[in-house]
Amino acid sequence: MTKKTLCYLLLGMMCCAGATFAQQEVVMSIREGMPIIPMAIPEFLSQESSPESQQAAATLRDVISADLKYSRIFSPLPQSYYGYIQRELDPDNIFFKEWESIQAKLLIVGQLLKSEGENILFEGKLYDVKSERFIFGKRYQSSKDLLRTVAHRFCDEVMKIYGEPTLFTTKIVFVSNRDGNDELYMMDYDGYNQERLTYNQIQDYMPAWSADRQGIAYTAYEDGKAKLYLLYPFQARRKLIWDKGTSFGTNFSPDGKWMAFCSTEDESNSEIYMATGEGENVQRLTFNKAIDTAPSWSPTSRELAFTSDRSGSPQIYIMDREGSNVRRRSFGGTYHDGPAWSPTGDRLVYVSRVEAVFDLYVLNLRTDQIIKLTEGYARNESPAWSPEGRHLVFSSNRVTGTIQLYAIDYDGQNLRQLTSKGENKLGDWSRQ
Amino acid sequence: MKKILILTLACLLVLSFTISCKKKVEQTPPPPQAKEQPKVERVEEPPPPKPELTEEEIFERKTLEEINAEKPLQMIHFDFDKFFIRDDAKATLESNASWMKKWGSVKILIEGHCDEKGTEEYNLALGEKRAKNTFDYLVSLGISVDRLKIISYGKSQPIDSGHNEISWERNRRAQFTILEK
Repeated sequence: MTKKTLCYLLLGMMCCAGATFAQQEVVMSIREGMPIIPMAIPEFLSQESSPESQQAAATLRDVISADLKYSRIFSPLPQSYYGYIQRELDPDNIFFKEWESIQAKLLIVGQLLKSEGENILFEGKLYDVKSERFIFGKRYQSSKDLLRTVAHRFCDEVMKIYGEPTLFTTKIVFVSNRDGNDELYMMDYDGYNQERLTYNQIQDYMPAWSADRQGIAYTAYEDGKAKLYLLYPFQARRKLIWDKGTSFGTNFSPDGKWMAFCSTEDESNSEIYMATGEGENVQRLTFNKAIDTAPSWSPTSRELAFTSDRSGSPQIYIMDREGSNVRRRSFGGTYHDGPAWSPTGDRLVYVSRVEAVFDLYVLNLRTDQIIKLTEGYARNESPAWSPEGRHLVFSSNRVTGTIQLYAIDYDGQNLRQLTSKGENKLGDWSRQ
Repeated sequence: MKKILILTLACLLVLSFTISCKKKVEQTPPPPQAKEQPKVERVEEPPPPKPELTEEEIFERKTLEEINAEKPLQMIHFDFDKFFIRDDAKATLESNASWMKKWGSVKILIEGHCDEKGTEEYNLALGEKRAKNTFDYLVSLGISVDRLKIISYGKSQPIDSGHNEISWERNRRAQFTILEK
């Protein structure tokens, strides 16, 4: 056989293979993540019998329970199961067989060791039920008004053991007009502890957390300009990054080295720019007559998803960090915007407009499958991922008619409303 | 005879009295009408002549807020998802330009706005394009570049909070703020 015939043969085989693939039916099966781990969280014990101490112990347990349930990794067993356990829990001599009998794989034992005045001392321990082994334990001393934070911290430790990024102590920064004009606020992941960050008479817009959660980039409408600032909320200082044209839409790379943002510096056309994580050395990435906007970093910090209307309508594209290798990733619609690249790397969420309705869609970058995440006659937009990529925060005018922030899971489960005062939008979930 | 004379006189007297009485009632003059009364014209001293303010002086005396409140520059509107200047907007911009030529020292900010039917980020870019096209049209009408600044608010500042075609049409706009005079 000559080389030429071999080539033709190979070519023929490839064509055949291509044809077979094309005819194959696509079977969708949902195999996401790992099996959910059932765990028992019996009532937390309190050394003191005062109602306040009992209440504090109950609060800690409720928050820990809710956090771990939200993780989508653990599943606290229903309250009714605990009825099968006959004897009272003795933290020093746990009878693990009983907990195994109700299918618990993990056991959390919580104790409020001290509760004096405003201070508490809480101890949380995690056990593996089957091997009857102590996994880890932590003691927390804090004031009573930080009970939720104590519970969140303990749950983050549990997550760490399972190789997960912290989730429960993360913060969501957002824009609210509850005090008159658009200002920056932040809150816990579950909507608690909403606090105001900026105090001024101007409009503050499109906040984004830096990778280390020390800084927030945002647009301030100041002196007839839309300037990009980097605010350090815990150090009470801010610095100007860019004041040429209207500058907005920042996103920090997960490795903390870079930030991407939009500016209309050149001929009032929005283009994508990049700077260091501290906002230095600004350089331009896109060069064309179309609108380029909404950059979002890949988890590798090597690529960027963004919106461009270079094809005539806004669509989602991906490019390398250097601005090269641009390829289109959204098809079949006339208006796509606001891409957010999941920290797990395999999903891209974006907004699609049909008539006057916006819905969120998740594109699986490996399989090109698209899942519609939100339903309802509303404008669902501005999605941002949680650090482990199982949850999203977004804004919507559903139900109430006013714009509020909601959280939803990557598969459409666990929709919950996070805000209700004034109008709240443009949420960004911190990476830690 | 004398008796008859007295009687006749008495009758006459009574008669004349009655007649005179009747006449009196009839002769009561109607109440004088106001317009028949002579008017006394009060001759006032002419007010001290106000110093004639020229338009320029009036303009000079107003604060920026007052001028902006009068809205001497009309806003223009755009088509859905578009940023070209419509024909009806051209006439508005021409009158805006002639106002700006009249007040040659005025500097303005052109704000581009969008309706809620666009997403936050794309709207900011679109609003900027609307402001820029407005800017370009004013420049083509002879307004100097250094008198014009532009900014985009996207959909963050609607003037009509409704959720229908009329509201959306009103919110897709370029509006003008006077920065300096």
